[in-house]
Amino acid sequence: MKQRQKLHQIRGRLLFSWRDSAVTLGILLAAYGVCSLLRNLGESSSYASLLFLLAVFLVARYTEGYFYGIAASLVGVLAVNYVFIYPYYSFNFTLAGYPMTMLCMLAVSLTTSALITRIKQSDQLKLAAEKEKMRGNLLRAVSHDLRTPLTSILGATSAVAENDLTLTHEERVRLLRGAQDDIEWLIRMVENLLAVTRIDADSPAQVIKTPEAAEEIVSETVAKFKKRFPGFSVSVRVPDALLMIPMDAMLIEQVLINLMENVVLHGETADRVELTVSRSGKCAVFEVRDNGVGIPPDKLPKILEGSMISAEEKQGDSKRNMGIGLSVCNAIVRAHGGSMFAENAPEGGAVIGFRLAIQEGEDGQ
Amino acid sequence: MDNKPSVLVVEDDAGIGSFIETILVSNGYSVLRASGGRQALMMLTSHCPELMILDLGLPDLDGTRIIRSVRSWSKMPILVVSARAHEKDKVEALDLGADDYITKPFGSAELLARIRTALRHASGDTASGMPLSGVFRAGDLTVDYNKMHVYLAGEDVHLTRNEYKIVALLSRYAGRVLTYDHILKNVWGPVSSGDNQILRVNMANIRRKIEKNPADPQYIFTEMGVGYRMIEGD
Repeated sequence: MKQRQKLHQIRGRLLFSWRDSAVTLGILLAAYGVCSLLRNLGESSSYASLLFLLAVFLVARYTEGYFYGIAASLVGVLAVNYVFIYPYYSFNFTLAGYPMTMLCMLAVSLTTSALITRIKQSDQLKLAAEKEKMRGNLLRAVSHDLRTPLTSILGATSAVAENDLTLTHEERVRLLRGAQDDIEWLIRMVENLLAVTRIDADSPAQVIKTPEAAEEIVSETVAKFKKRFPGFSVSVRVPDALLMIPMDAMLIEQVLINLMENVVLHGETADRVELTVSRSGKCAVFEVRDNGVGIPPDKLPKILEGSMISAEEKQGDSKRNMGIGLSVCNAIVRAHGGSMFAENAPEGGAVIGFRLAIQEGEDGQ
Repeated sequence: MDNKPSVLVVEDDAGIGSFIETILVSNGYSVLRASGGRQALMMLTSHCPELMILDLGLPDLDGTRIIRSVRSWSKMPILVVSARAHEKDKVEALDLGADDYITKPFGSAELLARIRTALRHASGDTASGMPLSGVFRAGDLTVDYNKMHVYLAGEDVHLTRNEYKIVALLSRYAGRVLTYDHILKNVWGPVSSGDNQILRVNMANIRRKIEKNPADPQYIFTEMGVGYRMIEGD
């Protein structure tokens, strides 16, 4: 994959590019125009070399690779010589210092191109390193979080397998139910990881979006949630008008499920969750609201982004980290070109949600 | 011979296969096992089970090929097992004639419910070619096929022609998921484009007419990326 990208880059550097040719031509013509103007105004032609030097620099800066810079410097040298150096409109290679000008232009173009290329490369490296770091953090947080339920599943099942005769029926059921809960948690964790791999694919914001009805996403999410937490009170509201939103349905469903489960797992006193979709301008706003203790004010600003790292701060095994779920949410929403928000409602409880653009062309309705 | 319904479980993973077998046996089914597609096809012809549970990811034969080959000679219910995130496989299997699907990982209650629905449909043979006559009831919802009207708690729900067709179709196959394509072809005819946008809009209108809360439906459920499913009739 990476190799192919690199190959593509190299080919891009060698091949003819309309954009770069246009840029080169434009800058050279501009330089030519300014020089002609200055000459017509009666200025001397001594600016010509300097102006073309600037042009060469700009060409090297705004085109890919070395080719266009070098070409511009050659054209520049010849043009200055032909048009702006006496005798006008003929070549004169015997001029004193002429080889020097030519060399300077070439050197400027080469060093600029080299510099720009190197800067671009280091930007890319930095980006890749950041991504790598994020993935490392995620992996660390995940493997930390996986160990706890795995331990308890192993414990419960081996207790049942090895003490079959001494366990009472209730004990056996209790152990197995506990294992079941842990397994369900693991399944959802794996689904989150799957979601992350689905949005990654090296080029960000490349989720495959199809228009989906907001109410269908919401209703499916709520049905799943009710099945898993039958005792929890859920209310849902969607606008009267049908909202079609371009999205990867599976991923957005994952976001909603994570947000609603966070209420159950971290809302502490929450026993009610409210999921609403509303329209605000060209956006659909999804909101998950609870009646729990809310988000601690000191965590509020950081809850959406750096939350994965909090797995390292908090070494306690007892409480599972909500950071993974939320940072997966954030990554998914951002890959859709949307934005997330988190706040505490004035009447108490937390509100976490996100905005997504509505399908274009539906605006008139 | 007893008259337990026999189920052929086609699953290459031994762990999953044996857990399905345990559940089925303890719930009064007799179970046959096949770990590959070729073996499954052989057992189908020699044992004629009443239902097949088919994992789509088999090592030797593509699951869709098995469905095709079974459908060429039998209407026996096929319940497809697939991994999550493979909506396309599910849809393809359903369009080829599989009766229902279940997504890994699943629990025993879900599996048993799907098997019961599939077997009931097979015995009632509501599936094929019967004229739409009689009445369908689920909760407050009544679909009257003779009058071609839908009632909610006795009140006439004013559906458009296409809306009625969609509701009638879903109620005919109540409990089973129908793919977008299947509904489109049945309501708009075989020339309908593959665009399911129009179906979504119709469904939104239907929900606003028959559901108390369209985002928390009682009667018609969405199976994301696959299609719609009507609740089982009373």
